Amino acid sequence: MAKREPSVNTQNLTAVQIMELDSCSRCGECVNWCPTYDASAQDPGLAPRDKILRWREFMNKSYGLRARLFGPKEIPEEDIEKFKDDVYKCTTCGMCATVCESAINTVELWESMRANLVKRGNGPYGKQGMFIKLIAEYKNPYMANNADRVNWFPKDIKVEDKAEVLYFGGCTAELKQRKLALATARVLNKLGIKFTMLGEDEICCGSALIRTGQYFINDTAKVNAQKNIDNIKAKGAKTVLYACAGCYRASLIDWPRLTGKKLPFKVVHITQFLQDLIEKGEIQWEKSIDKKVTYHDPCHLGRHVGVFEPPRAVLKSIPGIEFIEMERIEENQRCCGAGGGVKAGVPDLAMGVAKTRVEDALETEADLLSSACPFCKRNLSDGRDALGAKQLEVEDVVVLVAEAMGIDLSDAPKE
Amino acid sequence: MDYFAGVSDALRLTFVQVMIMANLSIGIFIIGMYINLKKWGMGSTGYGQEPSGSIFAFPRMLAQQMSEHAHVHNQSVLETFVLDILFQRRILRRSPLRWFMHFTIFFGWMALFVLSLAMFAVEMVHLISAQLGVHALPEFLSPEIFRELLAVPNDIFSYILLTGIIIAIYRRLFVAKVRESTIAYDSILLIGLTVITISGFVADGIRTGRFWGFGIEDPNLAPPMALFHVVISLLFCIAYIPFSKYIHMIAIPLALLANKGGE
Repeated sequence: MAKREPSVNTQNLTAVQIMELDSCSRCGECVNWCPTYDASAQDPGLAPRDKILRWREFMNKSYGLRARLFGPKEIPEEDIEKFKDDVYKCTTCGMCATVCESAINTVELWESMRANLVKRGNGPYGKQGMFIKLIAEYKNPYMANNADRVNWFPKDIKVEDKAEVLYFGGCTAELKQRKLALATARVLNKLGIKFTMLGEDEICCGSALIRTGQYFINDTAKVNAQKNIDNIKAKGAKTVLYACAGCYRASLIDWPRLTGKKLPFKVVHITQFLQDLIEKGEIQWEKSIDKKVTYHDPCHLGRHVGVFEPPRAVLKSIPGIEFIEMERIEENQRCCGAGGGVKAGVPDLAMGVAKTRVEDALETEADLLSSACPFCKRNLSDGRDALGAKQLEVEDVVVLVAEAMGIDLSDAPKE
Repeated sequence: MDYFAGVSDALRLTFVQVMIMANLSIGIFIIGMYINLKKWGMGSTGYGQEPSGSIFAFPRMLAQQMSEHAHVHNQSVLETFVLDILFQRRILRRSPLRWFMHFTIFFGWMALFVLSLAMFAVEMVHLISAQLGVHALPEFLSPEIFRELLAVPNDIFSYILLTGIIIAIYRRLFVAKVRESTIAYDSILLIGLTVITISGFVADGIRTGRFWGFGIEDPNLAPPMALFHVVISLLFCIAYIPFSKYIHMIAIPLALLANKGGE
């Protein structure tokens, strides 16, 4: 009699990731810090430790000692479906990886499990399934005409046809939160930095597809990453600036991995770029921003790649700002709740996490909660509105820089 | 007294049994690790690549990850080995008490393991030299003297180990959050460790007539107790490793190396 086929396979998991399942000592530290576990009223299924345990059992039932001797043990389909639901209720913030005593790279692990489940036909979750179709058809996930990325720029904005510096705006800033794109462009113009943009040739960076385990479908994420790289090269850029933490992370880590090649340009977040100019004394402040400001580290900029100091250095250098830290910052920062496809797939959960983070900010009695990612700004603003904390302003660091440089953004399109 | 760890004319059968058990345990361990390597090898050797299925997939992926540039913590293998694997600073960062518990178990256990290996080596040297008719060995390599030399360090490290175990048991029983999340996977490890440690104390107590003998004064019971201690140690701490939570002793150092000490 032929042996039964395993209920789950190892597609999209690396050999090290399968080993990492065995390295969980179940200390429970991840459970203490997980933002979605907290926001879900401590649903045990969302605890990172529990997810590792269940997938390890799946692996052992399929490929362990008993499976080798007597054939794989069947895993009920509802168990796999429940696991899928739980693994998608994660913002991939990476807090569990930071506190993991076994150093398990959990972010990569969740993403690989998601990709595995998408291949198996279980994933993605809810509206996330639209990403692949939308990005393939519109080159962005917002169903917007891709030509509208920068054609709305007021006439004073000077974007070169070719330049050594390229500003990669990202779908959210160019199509939704245009104040950020406008602020970035005007800051660069005022600093006399000649820069170019991809305009309608820009394609979604792929973050949404990668985080939700859909990157391999039709090779969309890889093809788009390569097109972006080729288009950036064609513009003559040697340095690419990002004001979106998601795009920055995708370009820095995911593009080389997807294409299998080193990037032919330098990837720089706008706050790193500005910090450098401030240190050289090349930024002249014209206005004082007399506010108490706190800063939320975007996961994709902070924990994922280690950019903690530049946004703080920029904020601290702006005249009038009284900078105050929240209790959980940098490596221990609490996620805003929007990442990992949770905003699109499980909006209530995203809102729950956002409210907790806004409460962190309110505890500092800050007037303004700043961040360096449009996606964080959107979710934190939603959390602020849900709490009715109208006194707390939520704004991007670059917008504050523009204001302090005396740049008028009153003509920014409404979000 | 000619009893060391079972090697004496009177207890030759015991020694043979121990050797058989040791080899059997090592054999089971090797088979278990082969199955684990096969399981780990069901993964790929690169992100997004097809599963390999080769037993070499894991070492290949490990080597690849260790040689890659990391964006956050790009620390050296030496730093990872000393600070994260041996010193276990990731646990210390999160909970000094849990670090103390784990470190005493780890340190006590490893020290006793090394001391046991040393005792075994001396006994083997003694046996082989006797067979070969060599009698010019240094005095301290006599099993009786060597065992006495090890008596104090054995005691010290045993109590260090016991301290860690007591804290671990206390946490599992009396800290609500820990107790509620404890599953059989966790309990078996701690029960095994406790039985091994206590049986070691009892065997020594019977032999020396100290407190841990619990009033058992018949020295003839010492060898069977020692044999029980040795057998259960071999089964739990070698043979059972690949099939239980004991695998973390191998997998965590590997994960630390693969991820350069972690984020």
